[in-house]
Amino acid sequence: MNQSAVLLEYVTRAYPGGVRAVDGVNLKIALGEWVALMGPSGSGKTTLLNLLDGLDRPTDGCVHVMGQNLLQLDVDEAATFRRENVGLIFQQFHLVSYLTAVENVMLAQYYHSMVDKQEALLALERVQLADRAHHLPSQLSGGEQQRVCIARALINDPKIILADEPTGNLDEDNADRVVKIFQRLHREGRTLVIATHDPDLGRLAQRIVCLRHGQIVEECSPDGSDAAPRATGAGASHDRDVMHVTAS
Amino acid sequence: MFFRMLIESFVRRRSRKLLAVAAVWIGLSLVIGLLALGLDVGDKLNREMRSFGANIQLQPAEAAVDVRVGGYELVAPGRTVYLDEADLPRLKQIFWRNNILAFAPRLTTQARLAGRSVPLVGTWFNHHVLLEDADPFVTGAAEVFPYWQARGAWPMNPESCLVGAALAQELDLGPGDRVELTTDQRSTSVRIVGVLTSGKDEDEAIVAPLSVVQRLAGLPGKVAEVQIAALTTPENKLAERYGRDPQSLTPAEYERWVCTPYPGSVAADIQNAVPGSSARVVRRVAETQGAVLGRIDGLMLLLGIFVLIASTLSIMGVLSSAVLERRGEVALLQAVGAHRADVLRLFLTEAVAIGLAGGVLAALTGQVLGGWLLRVIFDSASEPHGVLLILAPLLGLLIAVAASVPPVWRTVHQQAARLLRGV
Ligand SMILES: Nc1ncnc2c1ncn2[C@@H]1O[C@H](COP(=O)(O)OP(=O)(O)O)[C@@H](O)[C@H]1O
Ligand SMILES: [Mg+2]
Repeated sequence: MNQSAVLLEYVTRAYPGGVRAVDGVNLKIALGEWVALMGPSGSGKTTLLNLLDGLDRPTDGCVHVMGQNLLQLDVDEAATFRRENVGLIFQQFHLVSYLTAVENVMLAQYYHSMVDKQEALLALERVQLADRAHHLPSQLSGGEQQRVCIARALINDPKIILADEPTGNLDEDNADRVVKIFQRLHREGRTLVIATHDPDLGRLAQRIVCLRHGQIVEECSPDGSDAAPRATGAGASHDRDVMHVTAS
Repeated sequence: MFFRMLIESFVRRRSRKLLAVAAVWIGLSLVIGLLALGLDVGDKLNREMRSFGANIQLQPAEAAVDVRVGGYELVAPGRTVYLDEADLPRLKQIFWRNNILAFAPRLTTQARLAGRSVPLVGTWFNHHVLLEDADPFVTGAAEVFPYWQARGAWPMNPESCLVGAALAQELDLGPGDRVELTTDQRSTSVRIVGVLTSGKDEDEAIVAPLSVVQRLAGLPGKVAEVQIAALTTPENKLAERYGRDPQSLTPAEYERWVCTPYPGSVAADIQNAVPGSSARVVRRVAETQGAVLGRIDGLMLLLGIFVLIASTLSIMGVLSSAVLERRGEVALLQAVGAHRADVLRLFLTEAVAIGLAGGVLAALTGQVLGGWLLRVIFDSASEPHGVLLILAPLLGLLIAVAASVPPVWRTVHQQAARLLRGV
């Protein structure tokens, strides 16, 4: 592995008032690796993801993603970095309320390069939403909105996908659909970093990184305990190359 | 995609945008209405206050020192100088011609009537001043002295005249009576058509059309003075300084003085136009008008500023909260790769559209509002003001941009991660 997808060194994000949402984290994620970020609510998962996508900056330490030192980027350069490299999936979907599903996907194309409606419709088809393309977010169910969000995240062919509790607001059926999408993305060789509470989703990852009080810990307890095949911290080697998960 | 977003944002969030446009519209309507009223109010008041009488008096230059005995100018041919009636149309050809509202010449002599000597005043009634390239200007004593009241009719031809109320009582004269007026030169018979109450010396005189008096006095085409009602701007420091010492003004100040219809500048303009004349401002009238107008203008200005501030604040409140509501959207756009400038451009364009729409509406309704106020207060119609048609959209645009840009600016600069987590 000459290049890792993510390289965090002594990364700390402290909020005014003294909360260290991320506290001295060292983490290396290989290209193509599927990592689950687990830990109880408030343990710093969202904060860590935002440090990886450049929407937030650490108060200390170094953040390298896809070989780019994010600390060197200003707000606009970070935006450029995101549109070229990162697909973002949010727990609350964050769709633009006055744009239809396909327009929300086209939005990401617009800021990336060029709008191509055919391609956007195709992306929706791939998440089984072809028939919902011209609906507004308010006319879609939570599961459908999440899939629009995923289609938008994938439209520019990102190298790394950062998802924050992607199944957190979904029922079982929709969660299953989303899981299948992640499995496909993994097979396609993309790097996945997925923060989740959901032990079932966590179990599918090649590696689980457990957070507690902003620090990486060995055991994902209490609520992540049964989910952990193995919890590893900084510099974890990429030893479980092949995941033996097919649709289950 | 940019325009698609704009259009969808307006079409699919219609009620929000309408609310924003309405905020600009209503707020600015008040401002524009007040401004429209303010622009007209001076003019209207000025015209109203013409009931005080003429505010500029034109006399022969050499007679500027009054020669009055017992309240009447002495007409002594050969010694007194006169103005030419033929020069008077020039009053409507000067730079300030549109500010000349009315004027009436005056020629006075003594005539014998029923064995006594009575003052005979000649002036214009419903006189058509012929102008080279405009319709005739109709003016006369009734226009210059709105306080003149004639019981009966106004003299419309050289055979008719008015008799002053006091004289009428004394000699038991009234409308319909025929009188014989005699001077050293000649005599003529005229019919009394009305009894005049002016509250001044005309009450004891016979007031006849100018041509009658000119003939009787043997002064054809001559007038002794002209009373002028002019629309003027209250005197200010600049006008006062000019009054004290014209040399103390810098060229730029002089330019400004010339280009403002102060009583002094209008009088100077008139004096230059009529050969051998001397125009003087009738201070009492001009000053009363000036003082009242100055106060009204100050009041309107204060009210205007107050309403502008109040409206601006409430418009900004509505617009900036509409933007703040969309902070999540700003953060999302940045998350999918928009630069700060992209986001600003989007919101700026929306603000411009809202500001212009609201401003254009306000330009129309504001004028209607101003016109209505004017009708209620002065019972007179107003004309639309071109300035306001431009000013209102401009103000709307400025306020909308000023309200929208700072919140977007602050949002794009810091809080994306926090906003997306929905805190
Ligand atoms: N803007 C903020 N200011 C102060 N504290 C914050 C802020 N955002 C998050 N935190 C705190 O940081 C910690 C980690 O939060 P978060 O990253 O959202 O955890 P998780 O995603 O694992 O639930 C929490 O204790 C949270 O209260
Ligand atoms: Mg979280």
